[in-house]
Amino acid sequence: MTASILSGTRTEPGERAARVAHAHGSSGRVARVVTYLLLTVYAVISLYPFALMVSGALKDDKEILLDGHLIPHNPTLSTLNRTWNELDFLRYFGNSLVVTGATTLGVLVVYSLAGYAFGVLRFPGRRPLYGLFLSLLFVPGITVLLPIVILQQKLGILGTQLGIILPFINGTAPLSILLLSNSFRSVPTELRESARCDGAGELRTFFSIYLPTCRPALVTIALLTAIPTWNEYVLTRVSLNDTSTFTLPIALQNLNSTVSPQENVLMAASLIIVLPVIILFVLLQRYFVNGLQGAVKG
Amino acid sequence: VTDVTSESPTTVPAASSFRRRRVREALTGYAFVLPAVALFGVMGVYTVGYGFALSLARWNGFTPNWTWVGFSNYLDLLYRDPILAPETRSDGIRTLVVVLVVPALTVLGGFPLAVALNRIRFLRSMFRTVFFLPYVTAGIAVFYAWTYVLQPTGSLNYLLRHLGLGSLAQPQGFLGNPTTALPTLIVVMVWGAIPVAMILYLTGLQAIDSSVIDAARTDGASGFRIMTAVMWPLLRPITAAVILLNMREALQGFQIFLIMTNGGPGGHTEVLGLEAYNLAFFNGLKPTLGLSSALGWMLFVVALLLAGVNLRVLRSRV
Repeated sequence: MTASILSGTRTEPGERAARVAHAHGSSGRVARVVTYLLLTVYAVISLYPFALMVSGALKDDKEILLDGHLIPHNPTLSTLNRTWNELDFLRYFGNSLVVTGATTLGVLVVYSLAGYAFGVLRFPGRRPLYGLFLSLLFVPGITVLLPIVILQQKLGILGTQLGIILPFINGTAPLSILLLSNSFRSVPTELRESARCDGAGELRTFFSIYLPTCRPALVTIALLTAIPTWNEYVLTRVSLNDTSTFTLPIALQNLNSTVSPQENVLMAASLIIVLPVIILFVLLQRYFVNGLQGAVKG
Repeated sequence: VTDVTSESPTTVPAASSFRRRRVREALTGYAFVLPAVALFGVMGVYTVGYGFALSLARWNGFTPNWTWVGFSNYLDLLYRDPILAPETRSDGIRTLVVVLVVPALTVLGGFPLAVALNRIRFLRSMFRTVFFLPYVTAGIAVFYAWTYVLQPTGSLNYLLRHLGLGSLAQPQGFLGNPTTALPTLIVVMVWGAIPVAMILYLTGLQAIDSSVIDAARTDGASGFRIMTAVMWPLLRPITAAVILLNMREALQGFQIFLIMTNGGPGGHTEVLGLEAYNLAFFNGLKPTLGLSSALGWMLFVVALLLAGVNLRVLRSRV
């Protein structure tokens, strides 16, 4: 930053420019220190609850009752081990994987087809239908929460994982359709024409040209679906009641309400929930950030 | 519908074959949207319609029939019912505080952080990743971690006492004291909202023409002046988007309240979303499902109004 200021002003002749450049030489350094200080302080605030989550998960049953010191005196993995094995978090982890995986897959299949139709194909009623899907963005979750539970009951899927997967898929409709149809629309139409000249049908064109070209958008949608689904709590809580079907967030809540809650166990369970998301995010954050920006621009 | 030329590169095809292609394309279009439409019909249109119908009825969820009451659920909540109306009013005031304060603090925190991130090169992506963690992990696990931090024997009290700020420590815990509970939840909400605000501001900053900043600097403007007098006005559309997103979330979101305090202590963190949730799911056999639905729809109307106002402000300034 400082370098660019200096080079920018140095090219300008005259005493004034030189004076400005000089002034920025020293105050620029101060500004840099202040900038890094601010960023570091907020990084600590950002990480604060995670640090305590790790610290709590590594404390034993006695130490956790003491006070909120950060570094455990006798760090132990036994709490994590107990949570994972005896408290069945291995199973809940599996359930969460199933629900998140099925939802993500469903979203990719259903809305890449719909996104292609809205973005590329022409058919009567396209625009009003598109508008109808987007209007769903404004309906507050709380107004449909109860109707969804009643619907699950009527369809005989209340308490099953399918019962939450279907509304989860539908819940992503506005954003998925918005992002994917924009992405498909931006593929040059020449590609489509040439495929057609080669005798490719609509399905072939879709699979062999559009899906590969729009892979970044598909990864973005997968992430924007998978992460909130992994963390989802409210609908899952009112839909599932059999412990064998519980996902991680509900298992954590259940742990807190049934057993006399041990903070180290709660923190170990919390760590099991956030760790996979953090790893996934760190590996694929490029797609995630792009998607968020695209969602707001669109 | 009119651009025929781009659709057919060849000049030979007869009108009939062209029309056949059109029909086929339309049929393919319908086939492709069918799964989405079917799901939307059942999970979207049906539930929204059902929810609205329910707001006009009295029902406890167990009896076979609804009692139609027209708009009386809405009126009861707004002013008619001697128990519900005051509750709605006090929950409404708390919701209003959250709706105003959370977006404001999010902007105040997110904007300077984005400016700072935009100034540096070294370690930038590391900072960005760290700042973003609260957003991707948002949910019960992080809320439990905050509860653990904020409890009487928690880390925050421990830190304050060891830093010589023991007078600020809360012996009942930050969520146990009626006066600190709501402000504390607001801080946690802002902590969770800053990542997205920061990313959006960062995108906006990177789109600003660097010659504008250079010109201001040549004129002798300080870094702070540039931030407030040049960048801030240019980024107004982003501020509007950040405020809109967070207002909607603050108005309708109740998860953090449900998980961290469930309205306590003594109802001091009860908000409208949570009230609607409790009327629907935790009122035993009382016929309050219609009331819950009516409250949800009122929140919907307010959200639409807010979106409208925000869009107008945004348009008038761009």
